[in-house]
Amino acid sequence: MKRRDFLKTTAASTPLLFLPHVPGFPLRRQETDRSLLAETALNTAEGLKASYADIRIGLYRTQSLSTREQRVTGISDSESSGFGVRVMVNGTWGFAASNILTVDEVRRITREAVAVARANSRLQKEPVRLAPVKTILATWQTPHEKDPFAVPLKEKTQFLLDLNARALAVQGVTFCSSFMAFVRENKLFASSDGSVIEQTLYRCYPTFTVTSVDRTRGSFQSRNAYSEPQGMGYEYVEEYPWDDDIRQAAQDVLEKHAAKSVEPGKSDLVLHPSNLWLTIHESVGHPTELDRALGMEANYAGTSFLTPDKLGTFRFGSPLVNFVADKTQPGGLATCGYDDDGVPTREWYLVKEGIFVDYQTTRDQAHWIGRKESYGCSYAQSWADVPFQRMPNVSLSPGPKPLSLTQLISDTEDGILIKGRGSYSIDHQRYNFQFGGQTFYEIRNGRITGMLKDVAYQARTPDFWNSCDAICSREEYALGGSFNDGKGEPGQSNAVSHGCPPARFRNINILNTGKQS
Amino acid sequence: MLTEQEARSIIERIVKLARADETEVSISAETVSHLRFARNTPSTSGQSADIVISVRSTFGTRSGTARVNQTDDPSLRSVVERSEELARLAPEDPEFMPALGPQEYSAPDAWVEETARAGTAGLAPAAEVCIRDAAERGLVAAGFLRIDANANAIGNSAGLFGYHRSTTASISETVRTQEGGGSGWVSRAANDIRQLNFRELSATAIEKALRSIRPRTLEPGRYPTILEPSCVADMVRSLLFSMDARSADEGRSYFAKKNGGTKIGEKLFSDSIHISSDPLDTSVPGFPWGSEGLPQRRVEWITGGTVKNLHASRFWARKQGIFPLPFPSNILFRGGKGTLEDLIASTERAVLVTSLWYIRSVNPQTLLLTGLTRDGVFWVENGTISHPVMNFRWNESPAAILQQVEAMTESVRVPPRESRNATMSIPALRVSGFTFSSISEAV
Repeated sequence: MKRRDFLKTTAASTPLLFLPHVPGFPLRRQETDRSLLAETALNTAEGLKASYADIRIGLYRTQSLSTREQRVTGISDSESSGFGVRVMVNGTWGFAASNILTVDEVRRITREAVAVARANSRLQKEPVRLAPVKTILATWQTPHEKDPFAVPLKEKTQFLLDLNARALAVQGVTFCSSFMAFVRENKLFASSDGSVIEQTLYRCYPTFTVTSVDRTRGSFQSRNAYSEPQGMGYEYVEEYPWDDDIRQAAQDVLEKHAAKSVEPGKSDLVLHPSNLWLTIHESVGHPTELDRALGMEANYAGTSFLTPDKLGTFRFGSPLVNFVADKTQPGGLATCGYDDDGVPTREWYLVKEGIFVDYQTTRDQAHWIGRKESYGCSYAQSWADVPFQRMPNVSLSPGPKPLSLTQLISDTEDGILIKGRGSYSIDHQRYNFQFGGQTFYEIRNGRITGMLKDVAYQARTPDFWNSCDAICSREEYALGGSFNDGKGEPGQSNAVSHGCPPARFRNINILNTGKQS
Repeated sequence: MLTEQEARSIIERIVKLARADETEVSISAETVSHLRFARNTPSTSGQSADIVISVRSTFGTRSGTARVNQTDDPSLRSVVERSEELARLAPEDPEFMPALGPQEYSAPDAWVEETARAGTAGLAPAAEVCIRDAAERGLVAAGFLRIDANANAIGNSAGLFGYHRSTTASISETVRTQEGGGSGWVSRAANDIRQLNFRELSATAIEKALRSIRPRTLEPGRYPTILEPSCVADMVRSLLFSMDARSADEGRSYFAKKNGGTKIGEKLFSDSIHISSDPLDTSVPGFPWGSEGLPQRRVEWITGGTVKNLHASRFWARKQGIFPLPFPSNILFRGGKGTLEDLIASTERAVLVTSLWYIRSVNPQTLLLTGLTRDGVFWVENGTISHPVMNFRWNESPAAILQQVEAMTESVRVPPRESRNATMSIPALRVSGFTFSSISEAV
């Protein structure tokens, strides 16, 4: 094969140097121009008869600040740069990565990736097939107003210490810790399909924990912030209603000491978005991953009860329930322009009117369920990791009729309102789950009558979503998310958001976690 | 792999570039080779090499940390400048502790050249064995093989220096029946890849998969239970994490006394519980140092059921007048006699659990955890495995488990499934009661 055939588009004949230089990318002495590194990898792979190759050259920057009471317990700022080369030989993947950004090293690492693929191809029983993708020449970055790395450190630490001081000013509050983390992920992707894509993704995660210790009771109670990690800049930190949240958190921990311990049994639940997003993540996001459904994750993350034979027919939830996957939602942690296969991102239904209709896919998976193109769900946590199928944003669509949280509570005779992310656990096929929360409120005759404690809810996924009989409307919609969702071997972290309005679920099993020990 | 001389040179270059009152450096260099397979065929495989250089600078009591993964002069200069800039902007730290001077670190023997050299090519034959043995029985194998070669160094402007290197080879494998009605799992780790008998390990996963077909329903409830070593490892690791002196003194821990103080010296667990750590253990070598550069030494954590020590930072130890102890680098649970088969043979009736999954804290006050059983749950009756039972969700506390130990096997080196830490020596336990709260139909 000629190089011109291998690099199928204009990128083959056009030097990659048209790419803009990204401020902050470390053009240090050992780093040669990235376009040369990319061309070296693709040419080397071509020379070694790889049928496909891509390279990701990355610079990842993270910053975190942590405090407790009036002390800064940690300030750190990390940079990691390097490249990963992925090749396909004889229908088998091979991968290698290095932190040394030189032409010679790219050549060596590409040879290594080819050697890995060739060695393993002997065992290959299902040659990898890639869904076609258009050639893309593009740049993309997370829309943001304020680069968190440009905000002075002093401003950030003072912000956190002030937050702690506000909580500690409330009598009975014993401790308060707070934390901020920021990520900037810059990556240049070039593939033998001719695509060259540069992306810069931003993420932020501010939070706090307020704790009260009651020595006479021998009890301690905590409440975390209701803030959520976001695919945004520092503007999220500036816009979040911290005053309201920290004041309420201080009251909540004091009230929790004397709160009524929940009566175990069946109860209706009203789940606030700050709680429901994680239930969506575990019980909808993970079982609709196609690699799980087909056994690729059987040894670690697990498989899925949503097997392909259920596509288009299985009643996952009540007719009210619609789940949309996307990597395009503003503020979403998984939002980006293109995935790590170079596929443009989009949105699609996973569950429509309660019926399970689709999966999350990558280029090497689409053909398994007869799809002609990938939904663009490939992601690697860093330049050193192999891209594979990771969760897009998965969100519950708002209900069709106007319905506020207040109206939903008024419409609920007896039940429990749950807010905030608590304990979470689900089985390896995503049937049996158990979730806690941060705060729990008793609903009696359509009114909140007081706080409860020791609450966990446990259900079977399809039973739970089929018990959903009310979903609030769009004005109550909010985006929660996970900064670090684990999957894969070697383990990788993915950031992902889940939007939802409050929703009601009937007759759910409630456990008392105070007595059950 | 980063040599001691190269590590020393990087640290010296950094200290020389520094303008701060104190400069501390830690270096972590790693080469990872991995091979993953599923559906009886390889899926992803590769090698990666990286180095992380962490620089902590201090002016007075103000500190900041910056990290970089390049070793050229401009990169080192830049990381020192960033670290010093962070330190200058940081507020005074009322809990500041000056850098440690030279320490005597132990030298665990954890490097095996044959493991370091094996690379991805050395993993392919193991994958072949696992895949072929499963396929020959009409089963489906998914697994992960990994080799880590690590070099770590620590040093500072006060003259401290330490260097350590280690290799680890590990396997975990899940074998499932074609129709998905049975599933078995196995996992092992060793510093020397030659100590892993992939055929034998794979046979365990195969046997469990075949044995677990057509599980019967056992009503949720509290049953006598045999927890295999991987299960015990997960529970004990969680317990050790909670054994923090500061949290206990502050009243927000299971190890806090109601009206103040900690439970050190209290007998909380069965007489037979002895848990220690020792970096020089030959079967499960640990690491020479822990957090803050504190030397890892032999430490008794629980002896005869009595709490002997809680881990403590240097600041907290000084404040409380106790000895500073880092979180241990290995966990050694003294076992009894006999194998798992012997323990089963001596059991009248119990649930036998292979592994635990998705373990999360539910109530930190009681250490209550929740999670699932996975890949092999059986009913044992009159000394033999009678039949498979369906998986369970459980809600149980490691503290409660260690209060109810009836019998245990000898200890073996087994990674806990959840945390995948490779430095634990753990027995299987038979406990008088374990709370299975609901059935999971997952296989």
